[in-house]
Amino acid sequence: MRRTIATAALGALALSACAGAPPERVSPGPKTPMPAHGVLAEDTAPKEDLRMVPPEAYVRTYLALFGALAPVDVQKRARAADGSQLFDVWDDYVSALGFPDYRVDVPRLGQTNALMVATFERLGVALCDRAVEHDLKAHPPISERAIFAFDPPRGPVDAAAFAPRFDVLHRTFLGYPASLAPPHRAARYLQLFHDVAADHRKDDPRSRFTADEAAWAAVCYGLVRHPEFHLY
Amino acid sequence: MLPSSRCALVAFLVAAAVLPAVAFQASDAASAPPVPAHRTLEDYRHFRVATIDLLGRMPTRDEIATFERADFDMGRWIDAHTSGPAFAERLTRIYMDLLRLEPNVNFASAPSQLYRHDVLGPDGKPVPVYFRQNQRRERPETDGEFCFSPDEAGVVVTIGRPDVGTPKKIPQKVLDARTVLVKPWWLYRDYKTPNPTQRLGTDAWPNADPQFKPVDAIVKDAEGKPLTEVRVCREEAATRETGHVYASGRMPPKPAPKEVKPPKPSEPLHYAGGRMRPPPVDRPYATRHPGEEVSCSSKLGLDYAPDCGCGTGLERCLPSNRSDNGGTAFDFPNHMPLGADMPLDDAPQQAQRWFPYWWSREAVRFLDDLFLEDRDFRQILTGKQTFVNGPLAQFYAHIQRGNCCGPEAGFGMLEESDPLFDPRAVPADLEPQDVSTWKEVADRGPHASGILTMPMFLEKYASARARGAVLYNAFLCKSFVAEQQQLTPSTESNLMVRPGCKTCHATLEPLAAYFARVEPGNFVFLPQDRFPAHSTTCRLDRNGKLNGNCNALYDAAFSDAKGATLRSAYGSMEHADETPAGAGKDITAMPEFAQCAVQRVTSSFLGRQTTPDDYALLASLTDTFVRSGFHTRALVRALMRSDAYRSTNNLASTTWRGGGP
Repeated sequence: MRRTIATAALGALALSACAGAPPERVSPGPKTPMPAHGVLAEDTAPKEDLRMVPPEAYVRTYLALFGALAPVDVQKRARAADGSQLFDVWDDYVSALGFPDYRVDVPRLGQTNALMVATFERLGVALCDRAVEHDLKAHPPISERAIFAFDPPRGPVDAAAFAPRFDVLHRTFLGYPASLAPPHRAARYLQLFHDVAADHRKDDPRSRFTADEAAWAAVCYGLVRHPEFHLY
Repeated sequence: MLPSSRCALVAFLVAAAVLPAVAFQASDAASAPPVPAHRTLEDYRHFRVATIDLLGRMPTRDEIATFERADFDMGRWIDAHTSGPAFAERLTRIYMDLLRLEPNVNFASAPSQLYRHDVLGPDGKPVPVYFRQNQRRERPETDGEFCFSPDEAGVVVTIGRPDVGTPKKIPQKVLDARTVLVKPWWLYRDYKTPNPTQRLGTDAWPNADPQFKPVDAIVKDAEGKPLTEVRVCREEAATRETGHVYASGRMPPKPAPKEVKPPKPSEPLHYAGGRMRPPPVDRPYATRHPGEEVSCSSKLGLDYAPDCGCGTGLERCLPSNRSDNGGTAFDFPNHMPLGADMPLDDAPQQAQRWFPYWWSREAVRFLDDLFLEDRDFRQILTGKQTFVNGPLAQFYAHIQRGNCCGPEAGFGMLEESDPLFDPRAVPADLEPQDVSTWKEVADRGPHASGILTMPMFLEKYASARARGAVLYNAFLCKSFVAEQQQLTPSTESNLMVRPGCKTCHATLEPLAAYFARVEPGNFVFLPQDRFPAHSTTCRLDRNGKLNGNCNALYDAAFSDAKGATLRSAYGSMEHADETPAGAGKDITAMPEFAQCAVQRVTSSFLGRQTTPDDYALLASLTDTFVRSGFHTRALVRALMRSDAYRSTNNLASTTWRGGGP
């Protein structure tokens, strides 16, 4: 009871104090601008993820890398008659690559899917394997090599020998020097090269490529399937 | 894409692939070439993006080497590459993605489609005979049917159905009486001469177009030997330009009284010559106009004149290797996303896809030319010009005329009087086999209006509403979005006022009205003098119905006892009379047209939808575009020089490059 009375007395005191206070006034601010304490640039540019290279550009690039042949000729050369079944027919890949089909109002695909990625892989393997056969096995003049425009080193492939050759492939597929890539990229690809070469030195299973040829093909697979190749 | 331009592109690709500079001589190098100090990763990326956009492919090593030179000027490079075929293809792709102008329809105009049926010759070997469906013949045994009666051939031949009966040998005398041997256009370059000699595949026809590829079945016999002539039903082989209305005197049977039930036949009915259905009776037009001269290029010629055929060398007709609609005639690509000169395949195709295939190529060529020549972009909807090759010349000169006239004949239009493509504008020096030779037609005719009057557009968007809607969306960047409203049953015919419908249709119906004068699902033009937007000839009868041909072309919902409204015209009678050309003129005059074109191009080049943050960029580009006279080259050059283009897709470029392989 005593506590209740005390609380009531305190409340009354507070009320009387408020009633006696002068009314609050909001005075106008200074006429000069507020002083700047720092400047932050506001980036209002829309932020967007990278987009897929249009399938038309992908196929044109593919044809150019295959030696600037017409699509049906590329199909013939990629299929060849060696039983490797590297390539089927373009018709099998058209929709998987994301081309629109205007006849039935199917729009172009703006995102990858599992089938598309598998198609990129299959086409990439066909390109790299045929390029190894053409560029490294047949030894045409370097000016006629669309992908492996270099001679493989005669001795062991160390970082110094690998770097300029990797740069050729990097420029071919990704459009810029390997030295501008993330720092460990060349080393990772060199490791891939050594791993594949070591694997292909085994007697079983036999490969139609030498160890180094298979290793260069693997580097090519890595670049032709690289996200930077398919995005822009 | 133009062949010469395409060849130039291919040659450029070849050159780029074999130029010595392409091949970096790594064999002698101790290390990779140093990166020029003035080039950053973003510079390389910008160059790669620009190359993909303007050259249609990724840069070659040679191009990268050129880019790395100190004197490389990106602005000059952009100027140099906003003019080639790859640039045109890049812009055409934007509008093809929007309009999807490829055929999902087959086109078979009855007067132009020749079917093939093999009969047994006197020696028991099959003899292919070409004929048309519903061909009029004076013999009642075969009138409207195959030229050999079932009694003669042993079988009943019906298009699209298996033969009924057992084939029997046809004596040579009967064979010669019913058919003639013809040297057709698909076998002879000089088919128009009295004695053609320049046969396909021989030295007499040198430099034959390699893309003209008839299927073996129409150029070789059953044993694989090259054909020199084809056997055609006598009526179909007629070469005259005009024929005469045939009145057989056969009248429709009088209907039996309702109370009398017809006896059930104990065996199938057979008519003269063993035919399974009765010979056609005379239609009212034939009984009223016997002997009247009609054009053999019109549908009327097929319907009424036995003396109308396929013309000289069968040039008014298209062959097929079967007697159903699945027959093939020519090899051409299924897929050609890189252009007609770089097909991904080549396969025998249905005969009925032949002309739609070329309609699509015409639209692509029109768009390519628009961007390649940097024409005023408004011509996409207003241009009188187009491009035709041999098959299209054949189509516009002969085949399209056979598409008319059905219900129009009841209004006195026996042959199309105002075609959207005037046959007189067709270049005279194009033959049907000239598939790779394209010629510009500067003026298709008074009603021509950009893509709006091309068969591909009109067949793809078959109804007036579909045509109006695609214009609204593709060229004004607007969509029809229905309001949130509870729909209630309504008998209101006018969708511009019906609750729940009016939100969209108040705009759509006036747009659709521009196309009221083009027959739906077709491209027959209905001229104002014969088909007024409001007709007092067509009127509702006592039962509230329009009768006969009025019902086909006029809308009973907007008719009364005094007159009727042309179908699709009720949204705006003025628009109906302005025709598609009025649509092109009105839409290109709207400020939204330029804004939309800029938005389409910008969005495509930036690879994303534009947002309100892009307002200043779009406003600036629109100003540039309009000031340039609606030239897309100026627009693209300004866009590619903008900071927005250089920094587009900027989110992941710094995030995923931080790691990964």
